This record gives sequence, C-alpha cells and structure tokens, in this order.
Amino acid sequence: MSEFIDIWIVGLGKATIIYAAPLIFAALGGLFSERSGIVNIGLEGMMTGGAFFAIYGSDIGGSSIVGILFAVAAGMALAAIHAVATITFHADQIISGTAIVLIAAGLINFLNLNLFGPNGSPASIAVPAKVGGVSVLVLLAIAAVVVTQYVVFRTPFGLRLRSVGEHPRAADTVGISVVRYRYVGVLVSGALAGLGGAFISFNVSSYSEGMVAGNGYIALAALIIGKWKPMGCVLASLLFGLSQGLVARVHGVSPDLISMLPYVITLIVLVGFVGKSIAPAAAGKPYDAH
Amino acid sequence: MSRSTSMRFGAAVLVLSLAVFASGCGKKGGDDSGNGSGEKGPKVGLVTDVGGLNDRSFNASAAKGFERAKSKLNANGSIIESKSSSDYSRNLGTEVKNKSDLVVGIGFLMADAVKDAAEKAPDTNFAIVDSSYTGDDGWGATNNIVSLMFREQEAGYLAGVLAGAAEEEGTLDGLNSAKVVSVVGGQKIPPVDRYIAGFQAGIAKECGDCKVIVAYSQDFTDQAKCQDIANTQIAKGSDIVFQVAGGCGLGALDAAKSKGIWGIGVDADQAYLGSHILTSAVKRIDNAVFDTVEQVKNDEFEGGRDVTYGLKEDGVGLGKISSAASKYQSVVDDATEGINDGSITVPDTV
Repeated sequence: MSEFIDIWIVGLGKATIIYAAPLIFAALGGLFSERSGIVNIGLEGMMTGGAFFAIYGSDIGGSSIVGILFAVAAGMALAAIHAVATITFHADQIISGTAIVLIAAGLINFLNLNLFGPNGSPASIAVPAKVGGVSVLVLLAIAAVVVTQYVVFRTPFGLRLRSVGEHPRAADTVGISVVRYRYVGVLVSGALAGLGGAFISFNVSSYSEGMVAGNGYIALAALIIGKWKPMGCVLASLLFGLSQGLVARVHGVSPDLISMLPYVITLIVLVGFVGKSIAPAAAGKPYDAH
Repeated sequence: MSRSTSMRFGAAVLVLSLAVFASGCGKKGGDDSGNGSGEKGPKVGLVTDVGGLNDRSFNASAAKGFERAKSKLNANGSIIESKSSSDYSRNLGTEVKNKSDLVVGIGFLMADAVKDAAEKAPDTNFAIVDSSYTGDDGWGATNNIVSLMFREQEAGYLAGVLAGAAEEEGTLDGLNSAKVVSVVGGQKIPPVDRYIAGFQAGIAKECGDCKVIVAYSQDFTDQAKCQDIANTQIAKGSDIVFQVAGGCGLGALDAAKSKGIWGIGVDADQAYLGSHILTSAVKRIDNAVFDTVEQVKNDEFEGGRDVTYGLKEDGVGLGKISSAASKYQSVVDDATEGINDGSITVPDTV
C-alpha cells in the first residue's frame, strides 16, 4: 500500500509539478510577448539558453543565485535578438522565432563543448534547495503567476501592453509607444523562458544537449489552451505535467502508444472543454507607424 | 545615418553574423594533413548523425578514434556534423568528393544514406556503425561497405554480474533488503535491448531471486523523463539503476544520486558523475574506427560484411568500478574469462 502511495499519489504529484513548472514559466513568458503583439516561437531556444547558463553561472559563481541571474540574462539576450528583428526591422515573427531556436541550439552546443568539455558540467553544482525532491524554484513560478495576473490585468502598464497587442494603431494615437511596450513584452518573455530553462537543468543538476526537449513548444500550446490568461496557462501546464507523469507509471501497454498520451489528452481537452481560444488581435503583425 | 540606411546596415550585420555562425558550426575539424612525419596515411571522412560531436556517446567516441588514427597512423581528413537527417546524403557526398579513402557514417540512423552513397561511389570504402550488413536481407547494399557492430550484451552482462553479486550480498551502502534492480531504456531498439538482455542474464547468474524492472522512456534527451521513471523504480525497491538512454538517462543517474542508491552508466565511462556510479557498460566505437582506418592503410579493407566487436576485440567492456565494489572484481574477471573462452554465451534479445 505504501508503495502505491509513493508512486501514484506522492510520486505522481511531485512529477506533475516538476514537469509543469518549466511550462508555467515559459507559458507566462509567451503571454507577455503575445499580449504585446509579438508571437514568440523562440521560447524553446530561450529555455535552452536558460538551462545551460543556469548551470554555467552556478558553476563559475559558486551559487545558484548567480545561475538564476545568468539564466535570466541568457533568455533576455536571445529575446533581444527576436525583439530587434521583429519590432525594429519588422521581420516575420515566425521566421525570427525559429531562427532563435536554431541559433540557441548551435550556440549553446558550442559553448557546452568549449566551456565544459566532453564530460559536460561538473558533477557537483550548487542548485536551489529541494523540498522532497522538488526545487524551491516552484515558489518563484507561483509568484510569477500572481505577479503576471496583477501586472497584465490590474495596472495601467498591463492595459497599455494589451492595447498594443490588440490595436496598436489606436494605442499609438493616444500616445502609447508601441515599440517600447513590445520590447518590454518580449524581454520579459525571455527572462521567464530563461527561468523555465533553469528549472529544467537545476532539477537534475546538469545541462545536457537537447534536454529542453520541446518544452518551449508545449508551453506555447499551454498558452493557447489557457486562452492567454495566467491561470489558464497554469491549468494547461498542470494537465501536461500530469499526463506526462502518467506515462512513466502506466505499464503493460506498448510504450510507443503510451507516449502519445499527453498529446491525445491535449487534443481532447482542446476540442471538448476549452471552447474558442482567441489570440490577441494584432499578434503576429508587425506595426509600422508610418 | 538616416533610418533606412541604419536599417540596412543592421540587417547586413545580422545576416553576416548568421552566415559566419552557420559556417562555423557546420563543419569541425577541417583538413588536417597529419603530423607530417613518416608516410602519408589514408584520408578519412567522418559524418556524425544528428546527435552531434558532444553527445558524450558514440559520435564523440568515433571522433576520438579518428584523432588517434591521425596521430598514430598519419591519417588525415575531416569530420562533418549533421544538423538534420536531410544532411546525411549531402555530407557523405562531400566526403566522397574530398577524395576520402574511407567514409564513416556514425549510427544506424544513417544506414540508408550510406547505402546510397556507396552505390554512387563504388571506388570509395565505407563503414557504417551499428547497422548490420547481413542482418537485414532487404538491405542489398554494395560490397564496398563494412558494418561495425558491437556485442553490447557482453558489456551489459558484466555490469549485470557485478550488480547481481552486490545485490546478493547486500552489504554496500545504499542497498536495501529488497532484491530489486532496474533498467531505464531509451527506446526498444536492438542496441538498447542487447545491453538490457545481457544485464538481465548477468543479474540472473549472480542473484537468482533478484527482480529486474525494465521501462523505456521513449526519449534519449529529456532528463526529466528518465529521472521520473527511475524514481518510480526506486519506490518499487530498486537500489541499482542501469541507464541505457543516452542523455535522458543522466536524469536516471541523478535520481539514483539524490536517493542515495547506485547507478550504472552506459556507452561511455560515466564514473565522472560521482561516487554513486557503480560502473559503466561501455562501447568502444573509437577502437572500431581506428581498426578500420588501419585496415584501409594496410590495404586490408574488406567490405560486404559485418565486423563485430565484443569483449575479446576490446569493442565493449566495463568502465571504472566503484572502489566500494572492488571486492566483486573477481566475479567480473570470471565472467570475462567465460565469455572469452566461449563457455558463456550471452543472449542478445530481452
């Protein structure tokens, strides 16, 4: 009986949180960017940057705080490229976002090989404290949800951010700088995605190639299922986390079939329960004041 | 600067830096004419699969073999990293055009691309790692290809007898009273299952009433998945976790570390991960690549066959054994002797 509780109650609960936390960070990041009118396919790349630099920062700084700062900076640096390309130069947001993913993959592999060598990051890395196997960074994720809800929906800043994502022309005519708000939206997006990446690598105390493994894309799906709202993102992320946790626990069926589970559940929820999910009206469209 | 000029300048800088970056990561190694002393060795072209050179596994190992061939056999040539599966044919073609004496495709994912390239370049010698020449009747490849195969089951067996002996006695720190060990596999594919089959046989030999839990993560990179699976196995009493899932499996070894139990590494010697690593089941692709280059150099290259590397050929084996478990060295030595003299045949399917 205690084995059942260990695996199916406590274990599944912890696994759900561990799988969901990076998605929550990144989906909130996507929310900031898309609410300002910039689609951010590059989340995956920003998470990869965060995952690597969390470990690197922690290694050279000797403290997980340094790692977290490095992860945030790495996510923001990649986001800055996306912001310059899409906001200042009006580049296609999907192409720029895809480029960010590819740039991050190549650059981080290069840095990983050259800064850590063939054996990867050192065996002992300072990581944020864990309670029962779950990193305390999860508290930061909860805080991020509350702060995002408040800032985006309860402050003048949030109203302006949403206005440049819904109707930039109208915002512009009342004197709101579309460019500035979009830059802030994309940079905050990078910072949060970097934290999501940091959670992934801190969870196992190391960086390895490909470890972000599509979490950035799943976070985008969570953003859509969550209807671009913080609590919606949290629920969608927890659903993904739970179904991923089930995959590791169901036996006796072909593992190939079981690994489809999270995606099948997603489709069912999306079609059956979520209803219409409408993106910010100006998301994906470059804004030119002239 | 006017706005449009600065925009164009900015765009040009961006494009230029991307181009420099892309050409920088597409190719590594470059041409190298050996160390210059003595006669000129064969020209070798290595093409990696999508795992890349820093996979800490077979691509890295193959590159190590090539480096050794450069210094010991005066070989020269280049390594091309494939960024996607659509690059395989082009990269192999590039190495053929470079007038390589030997072109090596690393990993079974490249089997079809190597077959096509070998058909188009009948005068070039090819080698493919992990894809049997004779195993699949429909393959129909030309006979300028040699398949470099490994008996992973023998490495798995040695890891199994070591773990089995430790489990049977149960005196190592971190072992519990339940006789349960476990394996986290990446995918149910032949090389993974050969490791697992050998491991199970080794456990059964030394610890008849031990239970081996096997699960597959369906993933070779996502550490969180293998960590989660290992945690469920540990909850079922497993106190030795064998990872056969590449990068994903590092998560399983982390779970073992944080729960204070034992882990067993795979492909490369993973003892560097910490004192919780009991040993590693290793695969010496570097030796296979080096041997093949040597054959080309001595005009002894013979295609159209499998060359299989086992324990005897120094193609597989164990990594460093934890000093805490050194008292079981004799068990490993006995098993090694048995495999080498043919008295032990290790099964290769689960």
